Amino acid sequence: MKTVIDAHTVSKTFNPNTIPVHAINNVHLHMEQGEFSALVGPSGSGKTTLLNLIGGLDKPDTGNIIIHGIDITKLSPNELIDFRLHNIGFVFQSFNLIPVLTAKENVELIMQLQNRKRADIEKRILSLFKQIGLEDKIDTRPSQLSGGQQQRVAVARALASKPQLVLADEPTANLDSKSAANLLDIMAKLNQEENITFIFSTHDVRVIERARRVITLVDGQIHSDTARVETEPQTTDLATAK
Amino acid sequence: MNTSLAWRNVWRNKMRSLLIMASMAIGLFAGIFVLALYEGMLRARVRTVIDTEVAHLQIHHPKFKDDYDPAMILPDQEQVMRSLDQLKSINHIAYRSIAQGMLATATGSAGVQINGILTEQENLVSQLDKKIRDGKGLMVNKKNAIVVGRKLADKMKLKVGSKLVLTFTDKESNITSGAFRVVGIYKTNNTPLDERNVFVNKAVLNSYLNLGEASHEVAIILHNDEDVQTVKQRLQQQLPTYAVESWKENSPETDLMVSTINQYSSIIIIIIMLALAFGIINTMLMSVLERSREIGMLTALGMNRVRVFVLILSETVLLTVVGVPLGLLSSWLVVNYLSAAGIDISSFSGAAMSGFGFSSIIYPRFPITQLPEVMLIVIGTALIASLFPSLKAIKLQPADALRQ
Repeated sequence: MKTVIDAHTVSKTFNPNTIPVHAINNVHLHMEQGEFSALVGPSGSGKTTLLNLIGGLDKPDTGNIIIHGIDITKLSPNELIDFRLHNIGFVFQSFNLIPVLTAKENVELIMQLQNRKRADIEKRILSLFKQIGLEDKIDTRPSQLSGGQQQRVAVARALASKPQLVLADEPTANLDSKSAANLLDIMAKLNQEENITFIFSTHDVRVIERARRVITLVDGQIHSDTARVETEPQTTDLATAK
Repeated sequence: MNTSLAWRNVWRNKMRSLLIMASMAIGLFAGIFVLALYEGMLRARVRTVIDTEVAHLQIHHPKFKDDYDPAMILPDQEQVMRSLDQLKSINHIAYRSIAQGMLATATGSAGVQINGILTEQENLVSQLDKKIRDGKGLMVNKKNAIVVGRKLADKMKLKVGSKLVLTFTDKESNITSGAFRVVGIYKTNNTPLDERNVFVNKAVLNSYLNLGEASHEVAIILHNDEDVQTVKQRLQQQLPTYAVESWKENSPETDLMVSTINQYSSIIIIIIMLALAFGIINTMLMSVLERSREIGMLTALGMNRVRVFVLILSETVLLTVVGVPLGLLSSWLVVNYLSAAGIDISSFSGAAMSGFGFSSIIYPRFPITQLPEVMLIVIGTALIASLFPSLKAIKLQPADALRQ
C-alpha cells in the first residue's frame, strides 16, 4: 500500500504568548492510500486542527507532515496553496459554496485554477455530477439546493482537482439522516472505486459506523486508533468520543 | 471566471454597490464641475482682460512703464506701423497716449490714468463703445469730452454732463490742467479698472502733453490667442529697442489668479478624491471582511494570492467601469447646459466677483482635453483605494478565516 500521510511528533499551540491552548500534542499518524477514516473526539479535542494541519491550512509548531512524500511543513505559503490545489480536496461542515456561482461553476472554479482545458473541464463536470446524482441541478445556484445537495456539490468540488486525499470537516453535521446517508454512500463509492483516501472529522455516529478506521483524539493526543470492518459494532473508545 | 466572479460579487449587495457607484459618479461629476466652473471663470476673466483691458500685446518705450513719463513716447511710430503691417496674425491695433493725473471736481479728487484714444480703433480693440452705460462714447468733434468709469462716477458724484478738471504733467514735465465734461459712463466687470481709467480723445490729450501725433502705447488684438508668444517674439525681433509685452506681463494679477485658481481647483479635486478613496476603502473592506470565510475557503481550495488580489481589485475596477461613465454623462449634461445658460451668482457674490474682475455670470466650460486626466485621476484613486482591501484579503489565513 502507498503511504498518503506520515505525520511525526506534530504539535500545535494556539495563543502561545497569552493563554496557551495545546490543540495538538505530539501526534504521530500514518495513513495508507484508500483509507476511509474518521477522526473522532469531544469538542476541543483537536480534530479540526489536526485536519487543518494535514491539509496545510495551518502550520504545526513542531513535527513534520509528509503527504504523498512531500513534507508540507517545509513548503512556502504559495507552494502550499499550489500543493493543496493539486493534491487535497476539502469538504466543509457548512458547505462553503460560493453563492453567486451555479453548482457547475463552483466545481469548475477549481479546475480553472488548475488551468485545465475547457474540454477536460466539461467532461469532468459531467462525470462528477453524474457520480453525485445531481445532473439536473448543474445550473442551479446553491441557495436553491437543499443542504444535502449542497454538500454533494461540495464533494464534487473537492474531487474536481482529482486529489488522492479528501479531508472532510464534519461533513454531515448540517444534514438530515437521509442526506447524510446519501452523501456517505457517494463518498464510500468514490473511496472504493477510485481508491481516494477520505478522512472525516466527525461527531456523527452515522459517519463513524461507516469508517474503516477510527482515530480518537482527546486533549490533542491520539487516545485510540482502531481499524475495523464496516459491520463491526462501535468500540468503547468511540463511546468515549461521543 | 475571475471577472465573472468579480462581477457577480459586485451585485451581492446591490444597495452598497449602487452607493459606491453613485459616489464614484458624484466624485467624477464634482471634479469635472469644479474644473468646468473654474475654467469658465478663468476663460471669461482672461477674455475680458484681453478683449477689454490690455489686449493680446502692447508695445511701449522700454522706460515708459517705469514711471509713466509722458516723454517716453514710441521713438519711431512709423517703424512700429510698418512692422505691424507685415504680420497677418494681427486683427486690430489701437494707438494710445497715456498720462497719470489727478481728477478734481467740486466735491473731491482722485488719481486716474488718462487714456488718449482714437475712438474707432479703441472700439475695435477694447470695445469701449459696448461698455458705455450712460451717455455716449467719445466723439471726435466734442473737444473736451471724457468718459469715466461707473465706480469713479459714483465716488466723485459724476453724471453725464458733469464738469471736471484733469491735472497732469506734460512732455516737458510742466504741470498742465484741462477742463472736461463727462459724455459717457462706462462699466466693466473689473471695478478697480473702472475706478482708475478715464478716456479722452487722443488728439486732445496729446495737445495738452505737447506730443503731436505721438503715442505711448500700441494695443494689439490677434486673430488667435495661441499666437501671442509667436507674434511677441517676432515683434521683439523686429523692434528690439521697444518693450513688447503680452497680456500676462501687462496684467500679472490675472496670470497669478489663473495659476492660483488652478492650484485651488487641484486642492479641491484632491479633497474630493480623498473622500472617494475613503468611501471605496470602507466599502471594499466591508465587502472583504464579510466574505473573509469565503476568501479563506478559496485560498484553502487553491486560489493563490495573486488571483485573490486580482479578484478584489477587479471588483473595484468593475464598480469604477460603471460609476465613471455615469459621472461623465451627468457632468457632460450639466456642464453643457450651464455653459449656455450660465450660473448667475450676482445675488450673493456679484460685487465681490466684480471686485476681482470676474463676471457675476459664470459659464462653466470643460475642455475635452482634460477628460482623460480626470478619468485617470478617478480610476487611479479607485485602484489605489482598493489596494488596502485587496492586501487585507490576501493576508487572510485560510484556517483562521474558516474558523470564523
